[in-house]
Amino acid sequence: MNAIEIRNLSKSFRGMYAVDNLNMTVPVGSIYGFIGENGSGKSTTEKLICGHLVPDGGEIKLFGRDYTDAGVRVRVGALIENAGCFPHSSVYQNLRMQTINLGLKNPDEEIRRVLEIVRMQDSANIKFKSCSLGMKQRIGIAMALLGDPALLILDEPINGLDTDGMRIMREILVDITKNYGCTVLISSHILGELEKIATHYGIIRQGKMIMELSAEEMDRRAQVFVSLKTDDMKGAWAILSKKFADVREEGEYIRVYDVDDTAYIVDYLMKSGHVVSEIKKNKIGLEEYYIELMSRKGEE
Amino acid sequence: MTKSKELKFESPSFAERLKSMLGVDFYRLFHTPVFYIFLAISAIIPAMVSAMTMMPDQNGNTMEPLYSNVWQIIAATEPLYVINTIADYANMNMVFIFGGIMVSIFIGHDYKSGYVKQLFTTHAKKQDYMMSKSLVCAFAIVCMCASYFIGGTFAGLLVGYSLEVNVGSLIIAIVGKMVMSLGWASLYTFLNVIFRRYFGISIASSFFFGTGILIIGAAAIVEGLSLPTGFLNVFLYGSSVNACLVSNIETLVICILVSVLWTVFYNALGTHILSKSDVY
Repeated sequence: MNAIEIRNLSKSFRGMYAVDNLNMTVPVGSIYGFIGENGSGKSTTEKLICGHLVPDGGEIKLFGRDYTDAGVRVRVGALIENAGCFPHSSVYQNLRMQTINLGLKNPDEEIRRVLEIVRMQDSANIKFKSCSLGMKQRIGIAMALLGDPALLILDEPINGLDTDGMRIMREILVDITKNYGCTVLISSHILGELEKIATHYGIIRQGKMIMELSAEEMDRRAQVFVSLKTDDMKGAWAILSKKFADVREEGEYIRVYDVDDTAYIVDYLMKSGHVVSEIKKNKIGLEEYYIELMSRKGEE
Repeated sequence: MTKSKELKFESPSFAERLKSMLGVDFYRLFHTPVFYIFLAISAIIPAMVSAMTMMPDQNGNTMEPLYSNVWQIIAATEPLYVINTIADYANMNMVFIFGGIMVSIFIGHDYKSGYVKQLFTTHAKKQDYMMSKSLVCAFAIVCMCASYFIGGTFAGLLVGYSLEVNVGSLIIAIVGKMVMSLGWASLYTFLNVIFRRYFGISIASSFFFGTGILIIGAAAIVEGLSLPTGFLNVFLYGSSVNACLVSNIETLVICILVSVLWTVFYNALGTHILSKSDVY
């Protein structure tokens, strides 16, 4: 069973398609990294899943049920755009309202639990408007975690967080998927962070899903390359270009793609009279993979 | 707290859903200063109207009081659809104007804060939202009626108006107006659903309808044509005016019917609009 299954989903605003025949499959228990440029349709898709927007067409299923099913929707937690809290109410009051909304039996215990998870147990009495951006994001997460969510939908949750905040968020997400069996759909522009936790990826462009793959597949697809420095970068680049198909200058380094034999490259350059001062084997990360994919799609 | 890894999805019943939504709305109502401010306004306004009508004019002469009886501050002496003096208008019906503004602020903040996203994420059925808001706002307006009653009675006693009244009619008039609160609250909830993206317009529209100006205008035309005005009671303002100091049990039955029918109508329409359009 999949946590989210979307088929041919479409949504337009004044004739412009924000989501265009989108297909998406999010396996149960996964952390699904939803990637795309600004305006690619990520937030619209998330709002459609949460029932905030009415689709023009298509089908959304959550855990095999229609997304309008009250039983499944009560187990969806969401943080989309902002925490959705009343600014003049305290953190506790905002969370309390959500516990009532969810019909939770032990509200204070639940509030304590989620505040501990987001490391904000001492901030319950602060007014929401007095919280920093990072705190507000964490309160939004706490709000989404109340009850027993089977699915969390998080739109840019690490925006505005400092390095420590990002680490905490990462730990929280891994914890809730591993320990509580929760599925997480998370969109973010900070791909380096996403790469550390995501088990699956979906890449959206102009409202269409252009690729869905697991982290393992991503790992397999990620190009291997060797980056190196020599005493004569231009000369070395010319020599390497004759031998290898994909050689690029990237900042202070030369990158030789689809090769991982460093010894062979060192030997080859030495024979051509170039001394290698630094060499290392690498794999392109999610960010580079995404940028490359986008530029390829752009050319198409 | 232990959390299960099992994926069980139990659909909450309509009563459970409504209970949780009502719980949130009541919690919010009692924790929002707006509610208490409007309760205070409802108590102060009748006192102010009573005091102002007793003020001396430019020549130093005391103005003729507009009311002769304490209970005229609460309800008109007869169903006056067309108003000639401020006294014809300034009674408990004014609560429906303040109520409209309060409801607009109350519901508008759901959208302004973004909290409505939490509600609609967990409550797939839009009917829950409409019903809960209508009921909670009706409760708030009833409280404002009670506050108006207390304020008006005190003011009337202080000024020294007569207390003479047909108690049965007075009770029916007050209960009738309170019953009408449900219909008014449903109208305001509906208006706020329509203008959910425009906070100012939702307040202005609630104020506009709350004044009853459409019915007052229609009544003037109907009276000008010497036609019977009784049919105006099918409207919220008409029935609210009809609940006056000559009310009888028939008046109360009309109030109940009109209020319930408009509530059903606005709730059904509001639910349909929310189901067919983007909510946030």
